[in-house]
Amino acid sequence: MGSSESLSAKNKLSGRTAGFLVLFLLVIVSWAVFKIITPSNFGAPKNLLSYFEASLMVSAGAVGFYFVMVMGMFDFSIGANIMLSSIVGTVVASRFGLGYFGLIGGCVLTGAIVGLLNGFFYVKLHIPSMIVTTGLALIYEAIASYIAGGQSATLPADLRAFGSMPGNLILAVIAFLIAYLLLNYTRIGTYTYAIGSDEFVAKNMGINVNKYKVIAFIISGAFFGIEAVLTISYGSSMVAETGMLSMSRNFYPTMGCFLGLAMKKNGIPIPAIIIGEFFLQIIYYGFVALGAPTAVNDVISGLALLIIVTLTTKTRKGDIVK
Amino acid sequence: MSEVRLQVQNLCKSFGITKAVQNVSFNVNKGEVHALIGENGSGKSTLTNMLTGIYTIDSGHFILDGKEIHPKNQVEANNEGVSIIVQELGTLSGLTVAENIFLGHEERFVKYGIKNTRAMNKEAQQLLNKYGFNRIRAGAMVDEYNFEDRKLVEIVKATYFTPKIVVIDETTTALSQEGREELYKHMNRIREEGNTVIFISHDLPEVLRMSDTITILRDGVYIDTVKSADVTEDDLKRLMVGREVTGDYYRSDYGEKVSDEVVFSVRNVSVPGQISDISFDLHKGEILGFGGLSESGMHEIGKACFGASFDRSGSVTLADGTSIDSIPKAIKHSIAYTSKDRDNESVVMNQSIGDNICLPSLDDLRSVLFFLSKSKMKQFANEHAAEMSVKMVNTNQFVSDLSGGNKQKVVLARWIGKDSDILVLDSPTRGIDIKVKQDIYQLMDRMRKQGKSIIMISEELMELIGMCDRIYIMKDGKINGELHRDPDLDENALIAQMV
Repeated sequence: MGSSESLSAKNKLSGRTAGFLVLFLLVIVSWAVFKIITPSNFGAPKNLLSYFEASLMVSAGAVGFYFVMVMGMFDFSIGANIMLSSIVGTVVASRFGLGYFGLIGGCVLTGAIVGLLNGFFYVKLHIPSMIVTTGLALIYEAIASYIAGGQSATLPADLRAFGSMPGNLILAVIAFLIAYLLLNYTRIGTYTYAIGSDEFVAKNMGINVNKYKVIAFIISGAFFGIEAVLTISYGSSMVAETGMLSMSRNFYPTMGCFLGLAMKKNGIPIPAIIIGEFFLQIIYYGFVALGAPTAVNDVISGLALLIIVTLTTKTRKGDIVK
Repeated sequence: MSEVRLQVQNLCKSFGITKAVQNVSFNVNKGEVHALIGENGSGKSTLTNMLTGIYTIDSGHFILDGKEIHPKNQVEANNEGVSIIVQELGTLSGLTVAENIFLGHEERFVKYGIKNTRAMNKEAQQLLNKYGFNRIRAGAMVDEYNFEDRKLVEIVKATYFTPKIVVIDETTTALSQEGREELYKHMNRIREEGNTVIFISHDLPEVLRMSDTITILRDGVYIDTVKSADVTEDDLKRLMVGREVTGDYYRSDYGEKVSDEVVFSVRNVSVPGQISDISFDLHKGEILGFGGLSESGMHEIGKACFGASFDRSGSVTLADGTSIDSIPKAIKHSIAYTSKDRDNESVVMNQSIGDNICLPSLDDLRSVLFFLSKSKMKQFANEHAAEMSVKMVNTNQFVSDLSGGNKQKVVLARWIGKDSDILVLDSPTRGIDIKVKQDIYQLMDRMRKQGKSIIMISEELMELIGMCDRIYIMKDGKINGELHRDPDLDENALIAQMV
């Protein structure tokens, strides 16, 4: 009996350690490969810092999106949310003269409202989250375009502290800490995992499943609001795209979340998302340094996702995967 | 006179046109183990599911200690003083042991919205230690523990708050002897504390041994409430079935010579971590049994014979040398398999009874080209469902609506329809009532006489002794002994080889 206990403890320790080892190995190997291929214009410490800063933006949204994905739901309106939130945040901050308070408040509140709408329509319409959020994404894009007058919103230069160090790092770390706290130290986190594990049993345990699904979407939306702050601060302006063009922004947060899900059993989903996004940015900038066309970059990024998730997901033979 | 704890008054529940519980009334006393028995589909689980908030009540009342209760979910039931331990797994993966124990009751560990994980783990560990489950760590993920240990976690979850009533719904069938003894210990403790256990089980000797009072239901209707000390097993069978259960329960023949013709050979079969170097022959018209402890590897034998094992080495062949290495090949060569895990591996829950029965026989149910004949399918399903006396509205009814025993009948109807020559039956009577059990035993006997061969895997030693021509006892993934059909063979001879 005692031996099984110590064995379990050992397994847990090795699971976490193995998870971190895999993640760090991915970062080091990908960096080394591109450094060898293109030593002059890739991977210097200064470059690495800029890759890291780029990954911070996406990670801030992805850690919130994890709440939705772990429940088995999906969101195709990520890009539209980031676009709408950053445009609203910029307008509130500059046009209404509310400064940083307006920027953060406008972005996070808009993101949360988008999340609320996603969650509300999902639970009320009883149709798959993927379809609901795709439909709503078109609406969010249209609203963003209307607010931006069909063009773009530009953040004043004096409101861009979150676009560079240390502002971006501070805001991202705050986001990570909040996500970690919510997941591990609140009822929301416990219920998120319970619903993701078995919705029927969770319901029988008195959990208001629909309420917590909506909460998950709100959390996710608010974190994309934080990503919107970081994104507009870094890029200084946001073009109001329509016709589902915003969907290109869905890719990296989703990829990071897949890594988080794959590392859930290792007990490190949030660190996995953060390190995973950094790894993905290394690949992205590696190809930029090589001068590879975007299509090649996309192919390699897509393949990288499949390989990583395959290698890190411990599926037993015979397990049914849907 | 004992004090009444729960009054069940005129309770009714229907699912569509199926009347699962019809105007049931009886009382349950304080400080007793009150068994609830009946055939599959008699309404036992429906009744307790209403008591614990899993189903809503159509009409009628539950009066607990003089106050009417109508819980909407298990947490509300817990708050009223009622809890349940279910037959299958009732813990949630992805959560820690402590989170599972306190799921729905976390408020006392939450301050300003932040959960005090350390306090929760500490209290859960104290509870686990108090129950004698020190080896289970409160902070560990529940996924790290096996089925038995997770059941122990459920015992703690269902009883730590000293509920007035604990419902134990067919839990023992899923447990090993050690796990059962653990559960019995806590049932006695609950009774000694003056609280009540409502105990659902198909194992009548267990019911007589563990309970003080027994209520019998049949087809959703209340039949009688009796004192355990005043009745025999035969009395209970009669009350459950509605007539004397006559005729032989198991096979009655002894000394019949089994054919020398080998129809199925297994040679040096191994599955890493499960079974090692297994070899045996199955003869025409033979019932060959496999027994042992649950984790002995015997259940993997069934999968290996059906081509359903992963990483299998060695050979499984028919008499003509045909190798059976995949499920389609097994089915094509007239081999049938019923899994121990009926709900997940044998029936397609959200499909109709008809579709479930027709599934492996679709090639024979075509009209022209590759188009299926709906009329042929319907006729086929009706014929074989009737042959197995499946209790149903019609074959369009979803399998998920059926009781465990009727699901098993659907599985057997499927393979009877396919007219399989070799049947691999893993735990064919698990969680099944006395009447359906007898039907299945008689069916097996008929098949044997028709020259069909059966591999029967079971944790119930008496049915192995009663039904098999030969019994292999498995231990640690290997065959540890072989016993032959003999009227003097008893459980002790099998147990001696098992442990």
